[in-house]
Amino acid sequence: MSAQSSYLNKKGLTVKDLVTIGIFTALFFVFELIGSLPFAPNPALTFYQPFGIALLCGPVYLLMVAKVPKRGGIVVLGIINGIIWYVLGMHWAMDLGYVVMGIVAEIVAGAKGYRNIKWNIASFSLFCLGPAGVFLAYFADPAAWAETMLDNGTSQEYIDMMTASAPAGMLPVILLGTIVLGIISGLVGKKLLKKQFEKAGITA
Amino acid sequence: MSNGEKRRGLWIDPRTKILLLLLCVLSATMAPSLLYEMLVVALVACFGIVCGKVRYSIIGVIVYGGFYLLTQAVLQMPSGNVQVMLIAFLGLVHKVYPCGILSGIIISTTKVGEFLSAMNRSHISQKIVIPVAVMLRYVPTIREDWHFIKDAMRMRDVSPNLKNFILHPAMTIECIYVPLMMAASKTADELTVASVTRGIENPTQRTSYVRIGFGIADLIVVLAFLAMFLVGQFYGEVF
Repeated sequence: MSAQSSYLNKKGLTVKDLVTIGIFTALFFVFELIGSLPFAPNPALTFYQPFGIALLCGPVYLLMVAKVPKRGGIVVLGIINGIIWYVLGMHWAMDLGYVVMGIVAEIVAGAKGYRNIKWNIASFSLFCLGPAGVFLAYFADPAAWAETMLDNGTSQEYIDMMTASAPAGMLPVILLGTIVLGIISGLVGKKLLKKQFEKAGITA
Repeated sequence: MSNGEKRRGLWIDPRTKILLLLLCVLSATMAPSLLYEMLVVALVACFGIVCGKVRYSIIGVIVYGGFYLLTQAVLQMPSGNVQVMLIAFLGLVHKVYPCGILSGIIISTTKVGEFLSAMNRSHISQKIVIPVAVMLRYVPTIREDWHFIKDAMRMRDVSPNLKNFILHPAMTIECIYVPLMMAASKTADELTVASVTRGIENPTQRTSYVRIGFGIADLIVVLAFLAMFLVGQFYGEVF
């Protein structure tokens, strides 16, 4: 009996949390797709792809954190995102970026016990830097990056045009822009949460 | 199969399917030529037909054939910015298409219970398996929900297009996010209750109605995909 009751009172992620994470990851993924579709296929705009993700996913992320205020939730979101984008044939740095930034975002949100909305918003904008990991790899070593992308089946013209539209000061712009858009999206999410979801009693 | 309902097509172990997906990703990303990629899609379609997804597979091949011809036409175009854009876009399509169509076949032929049992047998943490299983099932539902929400929005004279988004951003954002997220959290609660009722929290070894295991069929399909991958790697110049 004692073994069973200790199982039911487990501190970590319960089945309810896992199912909630699954559902919200699906929603997160759909918004990510919508956010990156205008950017990713176009070599001149591909650098702004994290912007689309940062702009659209804030409310979903915040509601997920509000519903699963426990250690591990955000990391799982990051890992699953990494797996999916890997299956879709993206650069490995993007997938790794998701996992790493998932852990960082987890630590930031966890510092205030997942209950402080400002820290959650900060954690979201850090999480959005995950997909930008691919550009970190790009600016660290453009030649090696182009080689990996060619191996991955991206055409030479795409890479040439990307290189042409990427001035040297691009990286800080991408990172800062992603953080700013993440914060904007987070503020919208905060407003929505306060106006709609807290009243409906969904955030608990 | 003992559950009464007769299964159409061949039954393949979920773990084998994941292996196939991995091989398909590798073949598609390292494809030496367009013709080779067409063959990969054809192989995926054969797999789909064997698994009982005849219509889906045939449509998939025809659509890919369209992309193939389009790409050939674009390559004939005089070079310029438009051509580069089109090639870049088509390159992305060619990269993702075979994996996409194979994922579609796999998701629609795998039952959640089978997936969970197979993953459990491979000792993969439930913390990853449960969210993935839930997610795969929920993505199509989002599409359905979205159509209902769009209808409801039209009735209230809000339409989810760009013009409205610029004119009334707050209103449009609220009308899109709130119902989607409400529906999501409601589904999460319902699904939790359903799965707890079915004993997903049971700490003992999971049992399954369906017998999960590798068979000759698994071996044959894996060999077929592996052969495809190796041919692409070592005899790429043939194509």
